[in-house]
Amino acid sequence: MAKMKNKWIVLCSAAVTAVYAAGYITTADQASRQQYADVSTTPAASAVPAVPYSGNSGAPQTADSSPSSTPARSIYKDGTYTGMGSNRRGSIQVTLTIANDKITDVEISRFGMHYSESDVAGLPSEVLHNQNSQVTNVSGATYSTKAFQSAVQDALMIARNA
Amino acid sequence: MGMLRRTKLCMDTVVDIQVIVREEEGMEQAEIGMKRAFEAFRRIEQACSRFSPDSELMKACRVTGAPVQVSPFLFEPIRFAIELAEWTEGVFDPTIGKIMEKHGFNRHYLTGERVNSRSADFVTYRDIVLDERDCTLLLHKPLVIDLGAVAKGFAIDLAANELKSSPGFIINAGGDLYAGGTDEKGEPWKIGIRHPLHKEQSIQVIKVSGQAVCTSGSYERRSAKEAGMHHIINAVTESSPNDWISCTVIAPYAMQADAFSTASFLLGAEGGRSLITQAGLQGIWITPDLQIDIAGREEA
Repeated sequence: MAKMKNKWIVLCSAAVTAVYAAGYITTADQASRQQYADVSTTPAASAVPAVPYSGNSGAPQTADSSPSSTPARSIYKDGTYTGMGSNRRGSIQVTLTIANDKITDVEISRFGMHYSESDVAGLPSEVLHNQNSQVTNVSGATYSTKAFQSAVQDALMIARNA
Repeated sequence: MGMLRRTKLCMDTVVDIQVIVREEEGMEQAEIGMKRAFEAFRRIEQACSRFSPDSELMKACRVTGAPVQVSPFLFEPIRFAIELAEWTEGVFDPTIGKIMEKHGFNRHYLTGERVNSRSADFVTYRDIVLDERDCTLLLHKPLVIDLGAVAKGFAIDLAANELKSSPGFIINAGGDLYAGGTDEKGEPWKIGIRHPLHKEQSIQVIKVSGQAVCTSGSYERRSAKEAGMHHIINAVTESSPNDWISCTVIAPYAMQADAFSTASFLLGAEGGRSLITQAGLQGIWITPDLQIDIAGREEA
């Protein structure tokens, strides 16, 4: 039985280690050291995945004004945009980042929902506000992201190339 | 002492990260950790999303009969899912993707676009071959891998790894969470288990430190197409089990808590209980008549 217990723990810790060992992410220690001296022991950019995934591959995330490397008819302008979504309960503001026609980040920048006890379906209110006075967090509160979708669409409209 | 908190949309859920900052100088460090933690979510999403045709997963799923090299962001969750599929004799099966699509779980949460993938009619986890040495994936048949029960947990684990130098933090990804260190008062974090019917109440409160807590519930994400179906589907019977309405697992890693809460939900009352106790974990189950059933090390 002990074998069964350890097996899964080993799998999980090996999984986390594998990501660092392959050089896909450097450890936080390595990253802070790099700020002072360019320590050459950190796995370099040679460790690119065989199947490249889209989006920001290692580029600074705040790439607001980074020159787009693919000028071929992009749908959206690169940059950071805010969008509002609202319904009868209130409004949500999201800030989304676009790079090379991909949404690379969606931050919930303002949250002004009013909700009643019985009707919160679809609203992630409780994830953001403390669920009740005694607990800091709640497990099992999966909320539909529907409420945010209109905010995202709103921001995408602004980001659209004319 | 302060708290740094940020909330983003990732992986079709609301990801809320809170980091405790002991003194002023710690703020900068916390900011770096926060950024890297969200980066982990983004990386996993780009690798494992079943809803983006250009994710590493969906690109790999379009190749059959030849090995495809993949990153550990994708390889590791698949490896874990297959191990669990073997253990549960296919009741938990990551090749459930096409069946999920058919039941209406095929819409991208940001763009609203729907996917419709190519797949053979009858597929199981045995149609996936992993090569650990070369980090490759080979599919015998066209199929769609669904990592819904493991990828989010793995992202939480990677994010937790980025924040481990903080005195305390919580990563809450739509109710699946990891609580590291201690809260503002230096005490274990108090985590509520969501009441299946009364959304604003907790049915149980537990104290955790350095543990993940994940809950699979049939009360969320019901199929729009068929009554009685929800997002937890038994790959053998193609039906949604209903022995419980909520199943919580507490484990040292979120990938384990996430996958095991789903698997124990699928195995039903007896099998699920035995899975959790054999793995040395804690489980809290809620029956349809709101009885609470606890197994494993009891601290609640």
